[in-house]
Amino acid sequence: MDVTRKKEILDKLAEAVVEFEEEQAREWSQIALDEGMDAFEAIMQGLAAGMETVGDLYDQQEYFVPELLMSADALYAGLDILKPHIRAEDQKNMGQVVIGTVQGDVHDIGKNIIKLMFEVGGFEVHDLGRDVPLEKFVEEQMKTDSEIVAMSAMMTTTMTGMKKVIEMIKEKNPDVAIMLGGAPVTRDVADLFGADGYAESAGNAVQEAIKMISNLRKLQEKA
Amino acid sequence: MPELTSKERITRFFRREPVDTMPCFSGMGMVTIQVINEMGIRFPEVHTSAQHLARSAVLTAEMFGFDAAVIPYDMCTIPEALGRGASLYENSEDILYPTVPSKWETHAEVEIPGDFLSRGRLPLVDEAFNLIKSQTDGNLALGAWVLGPFTMAGQIVELNPLLKGVRKDRENTEAFLDRMTDLVIKAARHYETLGVDYMNIREMGTGSDLLSPKVWETLIGPNLKKIFDAVKIPTVNHICGSTDLIIEMMHACGADAISVDQKNNLAESRKKLGDDALLLGNFDPYGTLVTGDVSGVEPVIKKCIDDGADAVWPGCDIWPDVKMENMKAYLEAVRKFGKPATPAVGRI
Repeated sequence: MDVTRKKEILDKLAEAVVEFEEEQAREWSQIALDEGMDAFEAIMQGLAAGMETVGDLYDQQEYFVPELLMSADALYAGLDILKPHIRAEDQKNMGQVVIGTVQGDVHDIGKNIIKLMFEVGGFEVHDLGRDVPLEKFVEEQMKTDSEIVAMSAMMTTTMTGMKKVIEMIKEKNPDVAIMLGGAPVTRDVADLFGADGYAESAGNAVQEAIKMISNLRKLQEKA
Repeated sequence: MPELTSKERITRFFRREPVDTMPCFSGMGMVTIQVINEMGIRFPEVHTSAQHLARSAVLTAEMFGFDAAVIPYDMCTIPEALGRGASLYENSEDILYPTVPSKWETHAEVEIPGDFLSRGRLPLVDEAFNLIKSQTDGNLALGAWVLGPFTMAGQIVELNPLLKGVRKDRENTEAFLDRMTDLVIKAARHYETLGVDYMNIREMGTGSDLLSPKVWETLIGPNLKKIFDAVKIPTVNHICGSTDLIIEMMHACGADAISVDQKNNLAESRKKLGDDALLLGNFDPYGTLVTGDVSGVEPVIKKCIDDGADAVWPGCDIWPDVKMENMKAYLEAVRKFGKPATPAVGRI
């Protein structure tokens, strides 16, 4: 594909996410496929690149959570079209994630955005939903042999539940990576609980996830 | 020796009249596990009995020396009265506050029964307020709280469409928040008639980590102003999360006091609002009272006062699983450093 045309398509995909244009995301995802662009590249260098800009705009207090959610909708619109066309070799080595908000917590916005980022990154996501009993995380991790367990608690009152899950999982399988997210979770709390990563709020969750996606994008560029 | 009763101290405090010493209180849940254990009950039981609710609130004040009793503890009483139910986690061994099990998908579906105040556990909360009054000879101040309109909306409607509606469906979102505002006013005025001494409106889902200051100014602030205009007892405008960008707008809503959490730069807020504003805040109750070492408590409380708080308030509910020694250190520090006048409140 012509380099200029390729850049145009990727820019349009990124712009659709930044400007919350779901229809544009659908249209240019289809154009990408019709013109023979690699689906994984369109996702990572187009849609995900747009989400990276959204993360920056949140950081600069230009965008807030309503904007993040609308960008996520545009990203999903494109992802739905592109994802079935990802080549088998690009899906390798990405792994599986168990995700959910812990029992006592019904706030799932941060969780849903993180879930989207994992999906963008090509992970297989097992979403347990919200208000999830602690043992369910352990069961699902063992059942799926997932490499990552991501838990969210929006409220202080539920976050100690996460500590128990970490202990239960690490006891059975010390190699599982644990990610925590939610408004009251700080780096100190994550360290205290023995988690491997954390995201502070819905917005920070996006930033954390975008960092992860950025690394994947760089790896892909090198390949 | 204290010259005022707890109730007198808090009443004068909200009028910005001189008090003997800084009142130690909050406008959010303060019940602790030590109290629950002393009562010989399990945490889930406290939410479903007027006697337990009243006794635990009074015992908390007595055990630690707070100037006020505050109920209820969970945020589901009104959503439950509107028909959304409440998950009480009765079989859980953990301390879990009740949550709303199912929300309306969109605000178009929301129905508010005219008699919601007599539904669900709300009559039980009323009874608890009356019990507290009868058990304390009127010396203890009585605090109540109601969620603000946007936060209340988020308890009964799915958050995703609600938040996006702020941008994509503004007109209908505004109309819905008007209905929520009427609901909050109705609940707050009801508690007023029960004789509570102050009303905290907790609009915590609207900090600048969630909504832009512009949305706050046009969509959140005007509704809060309506509430503070309608309620005659002393009011508090409480928001947790990022509030530095909206603190002046919060002040303009007309509540008697403003409460913020540890994310607020309180010293800066004091400069912005001047010495007349009653400022409450702003320590992290979980880090200070649950996970932190007792040696760290006094400096945290002192900093709140040094930064210009008129009363030291936790940034959120005091999480029940506190360390006894940390609680004692917190109350002692307030008494120790709260003797001199604060920016808005003099001393007798």
